[in-house]
Amino acid sequence: MSKTITTTFSHLALGVAAALGTGLALPAAAAETTWAGFVENATYYRDGVGISKFRNTAQAEFETKFQSDTFRSVQLNGVLRGTYDGVYDLNDDEFGKDSRHAYLGENWHGQDLSTAILTPGVSFPCENDPTLCGNLDGYMDHDENDAKFPEFNDQLDFIRELYISADKELNNGDILSVRLGKQQVIWGKTDLFRVLDVINPVDYSRHNIYDELEDIRIPQWMLTAEWRMGPNSVFDDSNLSMVWNFDKFRPNNLGTCGQSYRILDAGCFFSSSANLQLIPGGPYSQPVPIIHDVEEPSWSLANTQLGMKWEGVYGDATFSVNALTYRQQLPSLHFRPLAPGAPVPAADGVFDIKFPRVNLLGGSIDYYSMNMDAIWRLELAYTEGEELPRDLNGHKETDMLRYVVGFDKNIIIPELGTRSAFLLSAQLFGEHILDHEADMPNDEDNWIATLLFKGWYMNNRLSPQIIMAHDFAAQSTVYAPSISWSPDNHWMFNLGLNIKTGGDERFPWSVASAFGDPSAQYEPLARFTNGPIGVANDEDELQLTVRYSF
Amino acid sequence: MLKKTLLSAAIALTLASGAQAAEVSEEIIQESFFPYADGAPSFEGLKAGMVINQSNVEQFKDVLDPAMYMFVKNGDTEVKVGETTDFALHPSYIEATRKYSADVQLGEGHGELSDTVAGRPFPAEPSLDDPRAGEKLAWNYKYGYNWGDSAAITPFYWTMRDMESGNKERTIKMNFHFLNFTHRTSQEPYPEITPNPSELFRGIYVQVLEPFDVKNTQLLIHRFEDDTKLDNAYLYLGFQRRVRRLSTGQTTDAFLGTDVMIEDFEGYNGRISDMKWTYKGTKNLLMPMYNHNDMVLDTETHQDDDGYQVIAFGGKGGCFPEITWQLRKVYVVESEPVDPNHPISKRQHYMDAQTFIIPRNITYDRKGDMWKSWTIGQTHPDHHLPVNKGTGVSIDDSFTMIDIQANHCTTGQFKGIVDPELSPVDKFSVQNMRASGR
Repeated sequence: MSKTITTTFSHLALGVAAALGTGLALPAAAAETTWAGFVENATYYRDGVGISKFRNTAQAEFETKFQSDTFRSVQLNGVLRGTYDGVYDLNDDEFGKDSRHAYLGENWHGQDLSTAILTPGVSFPCENDPTLCGNLDGYMDHDENDAKFPEFNDQLDFIRELYISADKELNNGDILSVRLGKQQVIWGKTDLFRVLDVINPVDYSRHNIYDELEDIRIPQWMLTAEWRMGPNSVFDDSNLSMVWNFDKFRPNNLGTCGQSYRILDAGCFFSSSANLQLIPGGPYSQPVPIIHDVEEPSWSLANTQLGMKWEGVYGDATFSVNALTYRQQLPSLHFRPLAPGAPVPAADGVFDIKFPRVNLLGGSIDYYSMNMDAIWRLELAYTEGEELPRDLNGHKETDMLRYVVGFDKNIIIPELGTRSAFLLSAQLFGEHILDHEADMPNDEDNWIATLLFKGWYMNNRLSPQIIMAHDFAAQSTVYAPSISWSPDNHWMFNLGLNIKTGGDERFPWSVASAFGDPSAQYEPLARFTNGPIGVANDEDELQLTVRYSF
Repeated sequence: MLKKTLLSAAIALTLASGAQAAEVSEEIIQESFFPYADGAPSFEGLKAGMVINQSNVEQFKDVLDPAMYMFVKNGDTEVKVGETTDFALHPSYIEATRKYSADVQLGEGHGELSDTVAGRPFPAEPSLDDPRAGEKLAWNYKYGYNWGDSAAITPFYWTMRDMESGNKERTIKMNFHFLNFTHRTSQEPYPEITPNPSELFRGIYVQVLEPFDVKNTQLLIHRFEDDTKLDNAYLYLGFQRRVRRLSTGQTTDAFLGTDVMIEDFEGYNGRISDMKWTYKGTKNLLMPMYNHNDMVLDTETHQDDDGYQVIAFGGKGGCFPEITWQLRKVYVVESEPVDPNHPISKRQHYMDAQTFIIPRNITYDRKGDMWKSWTIGQTHPDHHLPVNKGTGVSIDDSFTMIDIQANHCTTGQFKGIVDPELSPVDKFSVQNMRASGR
């Protein structure tokens, strides 16, 4: 149960609110504060590896409402989170600074020429290799303690959210709403994968793509403003909103080499080197680091990110039109030639990592079909400025079209022994690369299908579900059945399996060709072909989560 | 309050001028809205202050519905008898009935009704000779004064209980808000809120406060003037932080896992056209209607600065509200699902003749066996929170849904407030869900 507190915390909240709301000139007095939260242990066991997660989380959330004569509502919200993942102490042979890898990608594929050309990734390079650490400075330069205690860093990530909101009723009855602070801004209507929901970067090192996005979005300092116009003669609801992400740019966290979850195994690739010294008579005397430098955009007004959204309700449909200028949250690898125009890399590093500016235009619509008693969802995003990996020259800028068609239906199936409706939710994600090249490991068109089937028993206290996702190009599938039990208002136990198949796709690599093998290779490009499901093909897990909420 | 009442009645009167050629007769109005003007009903041996229990239940079987008779006979609960009191509805609603309802007609099709503005569509006494009398009573319920033009239940405690052990399995704390977009009589604007491009009739907005795992869940239901159209429903899940559309055809879904189907809300929460309605007769029965301030109150569940406390529960498994019951004129109506795959065979609704709220319902399963007993206790508004005095709303104040076959129940404890400030129009918008969620 949440607790209502009207003690000194309210004074503290008022002070924080005053600090955050300086620009808003908020005349308000603290009223009451409610607290809620949980402590949780998540222990996952990975087949053939042992414990892959022993994550202990404490999270507290508060909400303070202020009394104001000027505004219709003023409130301060905060979410504080601290995590200790003991896997680095309990299974340090497999994970952590002392873990070693026989070859690059040993966690998801066998060996071929590519794994001979590339060295194994270095776990936590800042604990093991000062050169690599320097090359990855500001991006994958975490040390083991950063992985053990991911929120306690220079970005103060233990403050997951802290924002003040104020609503002002205008003379015509419209509402002007402003929210300032560290927050998550969610666009779009999709589960598991993102199409429009790209304002906040994501921390995939927590549990790949499988944790709720709420828990893995990386909150940013932002200002949002909404003009809620309400109904008019055409629309039942209409709203115009603006989001300004003025925080310093942060990319997605893909997981550092040595962590138990590193999506696409990118972390180990970035901390590996190419054995180019093996080229007879070549210019290299030692392995060449894959990454030379990470060019993270520094903070400047020009580097901030801005979005606009108009959304509303028209009859049985809700819709949004979205526009956003932001930065690509996945790294783009820019090849560094030994000399201008040379096809071989510089001796001090093959690629620089960049995060290019991207412009997005998109929209979404969902529609309730009375005849089918089901919801149809459509979401679309067209971007310009994205850079995709390719064999030759590292990357190419291309326009992209991403879309998802979703279908949701609540259905009562008495034969399954419950009077609660099951939720059936299916999605088909599509991606089209407009300027596709043959040496791109991503198909010109690819699709991922997802299915969620969730039921409830024992007055919704017992809930089994299965999530499945299939990547068509990767020929990979994940099956994630789980069952959740809440014996009372406080305790929750969740037991699940996470089984993947795939990871068998290979892609030609010109460097291997130069070494005499033109056949398709595992490294380094097939990680993109196999995607986040296929690359995690050896990460079958039994997962138990125990949570106590208050 | 009197001034406000007269004002709204006057506005309703003004709006009506020229709109209708004829008015409902005063005799019908009086009989429909003031059934106790000539005195309360009586039953031999029944007196206010007495208790009906296992020892004397046979004597009073005729003033108890079958489920309550069974509970008392089994010793699961006792019925404390109170005085029959006048739950007079707001004068503006009565005035709207007088002005707008003379020409209201059922359509040819099931669930169709001629144009209505506000008020009770069919105020005349039902007749057993009228094959569509049940349908007319169902319309009277749908367009009843109910919570008035808008109201809020804040907070609202739903507790799931094992009836055998009395174990409280889970308590969900919520806020409920109601708003009529049309058929308005007492709160400005009358008789409808504009613009209203989709011709919404009613909005219901639910916000879950506790426990943590469902905190910030919000539900918004838009019901249309067109009864044949299914509701639009939107769900905001706190952990997803986005609004999902809900398919609304599954109205027999257990709401948040409780014993209450979405279709059960307020007595019946579906389309008129989904049921075949049959009027079975008029009776004087004991109904759960009382004065909140005179009841036994629960000192633990809720405390606030108003000093308000919710109704206490007792009896077997803690499944019965500790309230008094009064003898009232009741229309017995049965509804049978049109859909042969519906999980129930019928409901018996015991409609209070004066207010057209439905304080008692009995649900029968497909085999025809008694399945669920649904009690919605009503308090007189003048004996509740001061803000409710004079609103003319029969205030839902306590409920219990007992699954007789599963020996399980869900109980509800209310703090109902009739105050338009708590339910502004923009609270019933999709955008409000996004803004109110984290």
